[in-house]
Amino acid sequence: MTAAVEDRPLLRVDRLSVEFGGPAARLRVVDEVSFDIEAGETVGLVGESGSGKSITALSILRLVPEPPSHLAGGRVLLDGVDLTTLPRDQLPDIRGRDIAMIFQEPMSSLNPVQRIGDQVAEAILLHQKLDAASRRARVLDLLRLVGIPDPSRRIDAYPHQFSGGMRQRVMIAMALACNPRLLIADEPTTALDVTIQAQVLALLRDLKTEFGTAILLITHDLGVVAESCQRVVVMYAGRVVESGPVRAIFRNPSHPYTRALLQSIPRLDEERRRLHQIPGNVPPPGPLRAGCAFHTRCAERLLRCATDRPPMMQLGGGHQAACWLAGPMAQAPMAQAVTP
Amino acid sequence: MSAVTERLDLLAPEPSRLAIVRMVILNRPSTIAAVCLILVFVAIATAAPLIAPYDPLAQSYIKINQSPSWEHWLGTDQFGRDVLSRMIYGSRNSLIIGVLAPLVAAIIGTTLGVVAGFFGGIIDRVISRLVDLLISFPELLLAIIIAAALGGGFWNIVIVLAAAFVPNFARVARAQTMAVRAEPYVEAAVASGVTQLRIIMRHIIPNIAAPIVVLMTLWTASAIRLEASLSFLGLGTQAPQPSWGNIIRDGLNNLFGSPWPVIGAGLAITSVVLAFNLLGDTIRDVLDPETSP
Amino acid sequence: MTGPLLSVRDLRKVFNAQAGFGRPSAGVRAVDGISFDVEPGETLALVGESGCGKSTLGRLILQLIPASGGQVMFEGVDLVHLGTRPLREMRRRMQMVFQDPFGSLSPRRSVADIVAEPIDSFGLAPSRKARREMVADLLHQVGLPSSVMDRYPRQFSGGQRQRIGIARAIAAGPSFIVADEPVSALDVSVQAQVINLMQDLQESRGLTYLFIAHDLAVVRHIATRVAVMYLGRIVEIGPKARVYAAPHHPYTQALLSAAPNPDPDIPKRQIILTGDVPSPSNAPSGCAFHTRCPIAQARCRMEAPELRPVGGGHQAACHFATDHPIPVPS
Repeated sequence: MTAAVEDRPLLRVDRLSVEFGGPAARLRVVDEVSFDIEAGETVGLVGESGSGKSITALSILRLVPEPPSHLAGGRVLLDGVDLTTLPRDQLPDIRGRDIAMIFQEPMSSLNPVQRIGDQVAEAILLHQKLDAASRRARVLDLLRLVGIPDPSRRIDAYPHQFSGGMRQRVMIAMALACNPRLLIADEPTTALDVTIQAQVLALLRDLKTEFGTAILLITHDLGVVAESCQRVVVMYAGRVVESGPVRAIFRNPSHPYTRALLQSIPRLDEERRRLHQIPGNVPPPGPLRAGCAFHTRCAERLLRCATDRPPMMQLGGGHQAACWLAGPMAQAPMAQAVTP
Repeated sequence: MSAVTERLDLLAPEPSRLAIVRMVILNRPSTIAAVCLILVFVAIATAAPLIAPYDPLAQSYIKINQSPSWEHWLGTDQFGRDVLSRMIYGSRNSLIIGVLAPLVAAIIGTTLGVVAGFFGGIIDRVISRLVDLLISFPELLLAIIIAAALGGGFWNIVIVLAAAFVPNFARVARAQTMAVRAEPYVEAAVASGVTQLRIIMRHIIPNIAAPIVVLMTLWTASAIRLEASLSFLGLGTQAPQPSWGNIIRDGLNNLFGSPWPVIGAGLAITSVVLAFNLLGDTIRDVLDPETSP
Repeated sequence: MTGPLLSVRDLRKVFNAQAGFGRPSAGVRAVDGISFDVEPGETLALVGESGCGKSTLGRLILQLIPASGGQVMFEGVDLVHLGTRPLREMRRRMQMVFQDPFGSLSPRRSVADIVAEPIDSFGLAPSRKARREMVADLLHQVGLPSSVMDRYPRQFSGGQRQRIGIARAIAAGPSFIVADEPVSALDVSVQAQVINLMQDLQESRGLTYLFIAHDLAVVRHIATRVAVMYLGRIVEIGPKARVYAAPHHPYTQALLSAAPNPDPDIPKRQIILTGDVPSPSNAPSGCAFHTRCPIAQARCRMEAPELRPVGGGHQAACHFATDHPIPVPS
């Protein structure tokens, strides 16, 4: 039996760092980010603007233009294959076939002068050799699958004839064209209305149960995470501050940032007289920082928080938080995560 | 107010306008050259009586059509007038008209454009049709038509050129005004109770000023060129007053005897036009809040 | 005089699509006969999805765009039929906070000039020194130090800009503020700051808000009463507690059930609406919601339901409103 293979996650992001700018003004946008995605699970990557969540996701597929960005360290392992060292000409094989991506803005991701069906067919054409008739049949299948009503008529429509929600469905259909094992969804519902958001999220859930597609869901909306994800990775200022099973994160948030964030959002199900507010603003990207990235806004900071970067403290059950106060103080930090 | 702590130390210090100007200009040697050249011409035009070696109007039958010499650096024309002196005095006409005509055009054109763009409706339609009518003529043709009707002379040239330029300013001003009018901060100003006149003066004009100023420098170059063209055709600055355009015209009579008047005046026109174009580009970059550092 | 601060009656706005040669086409009924009152000191939240007309309604009330019909009675004066000059005078009493913290502040004006805009418009400052003091005090009220006065908007974050926008809105001492999605462009951790600030100001200055939003959780937090809009009409209006606990209109029910809740243990009992919001230029007959309504019947296609009371100051525009109050999961 191959225990090693079973241990291996579908995707492992291992201490990934991305920087922007030249040596004069180097901005660290993603700072030693690590997380795993198992086959068939939905992982939420949560953070505010400037947290580096989108750059992290784009870096997985090496879609961030270099320059101005460059990889400053770390690995991205898909089935054990390091994508960061893969020759550039092999990347298109990975994109679409193994990992597909959908974006926030379904308006601008579609070519306005090409028919919907042709755009979906193009995605199929990239990785599968099918004749025209079976390609059209496959496109119809996909459009039906993502819930586009009357697909045989809509297949010849143009993007402007579709609403935002319908366009996002088309994007999902294109992403699914080659049965990817991982779907990276970058704020897929942010531009959509609540009732349409509910439809798209339900569609993503169905796809996961039906095809076992793993999903990396990037969002700023904690409600979306709670509803759709099994595990959560919380990012702040380019770093992972906490990660773990969704219930652990929401029931027992162990990083002060996660805690403050959860307390600061108004709730649909309970009355709060006054919202907890996190003072200050999200720091703009800067050079590599010492200490904890959140210490300037943290209500519980210690002296060492300004100077020593907290390691990922293991809290059991896959729950971990990068805070000196997280978990029992005696607990030894995970050796590999200690900053050099 | 309770528990509100804003971290304002994250704000960068505001660079002064002057610092931005200095930075932009220093990064472009060509701008420095252009500014220097314009300043030199302005100095020459201002100090014309002091530096011109001869009276530009003094004729002399014994010195007709001379080639350059130590006495007459650019030679003399068919009336025996010193070409260098005529060029020095001619720079006054060229530069003043070059600045005045676009300025007048900018004031009139911007007013029309802003009124059309801001108020819209029937006002916009009337002004726009008028502007479309004028813009369908090339500037030179329009200038020639008006000049032919009005005759030459300094003020007539200013009027002619300004009239020819007005539609360009009106068009740009109208389009820019409509864009700025749709900005949320203009709606915010309306909601704050700001009067329409004040909105135009405080929100619209400052935000459309950049393209207008750029246009002015570009049309300054054109004005100098067109003044020369009109003078060349005999519709501009009237003899015996000197201008770069009529120096070229007069020089053509004796092009093969002495090409220097044509070359000298041609070079002056080209370099000033180029300098104003370069300056225009730089001004655009300085005035644009998005591109200024 | 007691009574509502604001009374909207049968307010309408038809946008004429540009059809060449001056012939207007059928037109888009963005706001289609809306009536409601706002009591002094309360926060009426206007919720709905994009294209429902909520922002248009907010602008109509402030007469930033002209109405096609109806009445807006503010402090006893009908704004719709007011001339330019008296309307401008009324703007002292009613102001607006905008959604876009970047676009709503002029990039070329200093913070002091922006905040003092209403002060200058109405000549409220007797001297330059008094003007600076007033601006400093306003900035202090929104939690910004007076040292930011001479800076320019581009140096501020979204949350700070929104504070500047709020300072401008309260500068002339209004009684009523229309806030158009004031926190939806802000980061989650900054939203709370701005919401708290707006609530503090409401308390200290006795403000009345019309709060336009699409986030039902934010609305639940800040509102006294809630009005739900769909395709240019109010489909449900009532005290917050009642609307959230027992929504009567099937659209409100769907909206509440679709809103994601940041709690993994809440069972998902979602009513997922099929289809998209119809285009306002081609609104369905009868009840505009019937194309997506899970309980629609023949009658709904023919007859547009009027708002009718369902008890406790709560109204819903549904033919079957009293028959099916479904409590949302709590």
